[in-house]
Amino acid sequence: MIWNISWKNVWRNKSRSLIVICAVTLGTVSGVFVAGLMKGWVDQRIHAAIYTEASHIKIQNPEYLNNEELKHTIPNYEEIENYLNNSDEVKDWTKHAKIVAMASTSRGNTALTLKGIDPVEEKSISDIYDFIIEDAGDYFESGFKNPIVISEKTADQLRLINYIISQELIDSLKQLGADEKLMASLSTIQDQRFITEKKFKAELESMLKPKQIKDYGAYIMKLAKNYKIRSKVRFTFTDIHGDMVQKSFRVCGIYKTYNTMFDQMNAFVKIDDINAIAGLQESDYHEITTILNNDSDESVKSFRDNLNKKFPQANIMTWKELAPDAGMMSDFMTIYYYIIMGVIFFALAFGIINTMLMAVLERIKELGMLMAIGMNKKRVFNMIMLETIFLTLVGSIAGMVIGGALIGIFGHFGLNFSTVQEGFEAFGWSAMVYPTIETSFFLGVTLMVIIVAIISSIIPARKALQLNPVEAIRT
Amino acid sequence: MNVIEINNLTKIYNESEVKVKAVDNVSLQFEQGEFAAIVGPSGSGKTTLLNMIGGLDKSTEGDIVVDGVKIGELKSSKLIDFRLRNIGFVFQAYNLIPVLTAKENVEFIMELQGKSRVERDERSIALLSAVGLGERVNARPAKLSGGQQQRVAVARALASKPKFVLADEPTANLDSKSTETLLDIMEQLNKEENITFIFSTHDQRVVNKARRVITVEDGHVVSDERRA
Ligand SMILES: Nc1ncnc2c1ncn2[C@@H]1O[C@H](COP(=O)(O)OP(=O)(O)O)[C@@H](O)[C@H]1O
Ligand SMILES: [Mg+2]
Repeated sequence: MIWNISWKNVWRNKSRSLIVICAVTLGTVSGVFVAGLMKGWVDQRIHAAIYTEASHIKIQNPEYLNNEELKHTIPNYEEIENYLNNSDEVKDWTKHAKIVAMASTSRGNTALTLKGIDPVEEKSISDIYDFIIEDAGDYFESGFKNPIVISEKTADQLRLINYIISQELIDSLKQLGADEKLMASLSTIQDQRFITEKKFKAELESMLKPKQIKDYGAYIMKLAKNYKIRSKVRFTFTDIHGDMVQKSFRVCGIYKTYNTMFDQMNAFVKIDDINAIAGLQESDYHEITTILNNDSDESVKSFRDNLNKKFPQANIMTWKELAPDAGMMSDFMTIYYYIIMGVIFFALAFGIINTMLMAVLERIKELGMLMAIGMNKKRVFNMIMLETIFLTLVGSIAGMVIGGALIGIFGHFGLNFSTVQEGFEAFGWSAMVYPTIETSFFLGVTLMVIIVAIISSIIPARKALQLNPVEAIRT
Repeated sequence: MNVIEINNLTKIYNESEVKVKAVDNVSLQFEQGEFAAIVGPSGSGKTTLLNMIGGLDKSTEGDIVVDGVKIGELKSSKLIDFRLRNIGFVFQAYNLIPVLTAKENVEFIMELQGKSRVERDERSIALLSAVGLGERVNARPAKLSGGQQQRVAVARALASKPKFVLADEPTANLDSKSTETLLDIMEQLNKEENITFIFSTHDQRVVNKARRVITVEDGHVVSDERRA
């Protein structure tokens, strides 16, 4: 019956209760949504850290970490290979040879790491193949010799991206209903090749009106972009004997991940194409990357520890050590979003306390009567506490439902932060975020709400208990 | 045996500069089955006296023994429980919980006493029928007239099977028709169930129904007469 009274009391002053409920709802929605957004982001970053960049566990020569020289290959490679093949914890593994090289074309150059991989094995470890840009080649599928997959960033630095206004582009603009003047201006530079984005942009800006740029600029940029697949890129590096070597590769695909830094550093070639020329022997590799069956922290760590014991000469690192930013996020994520919720509920608590105080003060005679007829302090306290819990819980449940629904919707379609993209991607964060949330978070929030309600009810309930029934009921 | 024994009861309020002797050296006894009115003008100390008998207020001197227990010596938590189990209250106003129906209001006190659901259900309906509200069991207080609300309060007071019922000016806010109905119901319950009623009033019509009339003035009992 106390539950019944408390519940009904919530609705006695409907408008006042609804104000608090709405505030709690809004607070919960924003807290839940921000948590979902953060989790979506972090999950994506963690996924990228593992499946694009580091894998679960990487094995290297400890010397290689200090000095990326070719001679620092993995010690006892064959034993490790044997161990990995026979471990049922390992889902897949592969090996890389790595060469730090200077890449150059006739127009540009850049330093990067050439990663020698086995494309077939690599696909089961890393999802780089998923990041090949549309209309920018493929992942080692074309049949030509010495293929290389480079990033868009590298392609840009090597000037392998052109901008051309083609007849096709003009035709498609016509279909979109662009005006004649725009087409006329564009046709003056038709088939002209711009070798940097900057120059092409400048040309467009000098030629077109701001409104035309606003309406069609992005579209023209996208369609005019032209990746020079099959271009030759020359690499210069020192081989294992310390001699300068040169070798050319042909671009077979261009990729772009969310991590600009990673992109800038990494180009992929077939391992067989570099081993010989670099003077590496068979079983000379610089890193082994592995994906485990069980990706929980404990099992990754214990696998690392086992490997360490077996192969003390090798350096073995988990993804959390290799991508400490993602590792830290993964560790502190849960705390972060409870802190966010905590701050929100702390602010809401003042409103809740205020409302409950008003509710108690306007009910003094009734509370006095209840204490007079024999309702003890504990029950009075419980009644007010329950009322506070109900009041808060209604709002937060509504908030969780709405917040959960928003996360569901945006989790499906994604949220685009591309206006601030550059900033995010420099740190390996995707501009497209798919919010997500664990069910346990809702349980946590519910628990938190109840605790906040109990704490908030202390002041109003004490006020009620201080009252003297004789004075309260005197008319 | 007396249900209530009041010995040399005095209550002095010293909250303000002037001390007020609201109840002055009162001694009274009440037996099982009495139907007694405490009569006196406003400010004569009726409410103060009833509050002390009901264990809501502490006396300055003297003591009250209810069923062998000196209630002045009970700790406040014990006192609440004592009230719950032994005394039925009807106040002048604010008797009912507005969010509950008539029946739930009556049941509530039995739930506080830990009575079973079945017992609560049967007794609340029986009592509401006894006060003539058998048809209105599911009405909320706001939907009932003042007289009907006081009848629910009487039913509520009886629900806990108290040793006696204290009613402080129960008819003060009622019209004469409702006053008569309420008094008739109380009288009937007193006669048929032998329930002890002690009520205060300054309404002559109410006084006429009482079988014992205790008149107070300035905190003194000036007369205590029993009628046939
Ligand atoms: N809490 C209080 N503080 C001071 N004086 C009080 C208090 N309550 C009642 N009194 C005084 O005690 C006297 C008796 O009051 P009360 O018992 O209410 O009389 P009645 O119920 O007969 O009208 C009055 O003079 C009143 O002013
Ligand atoms: Mg009075």
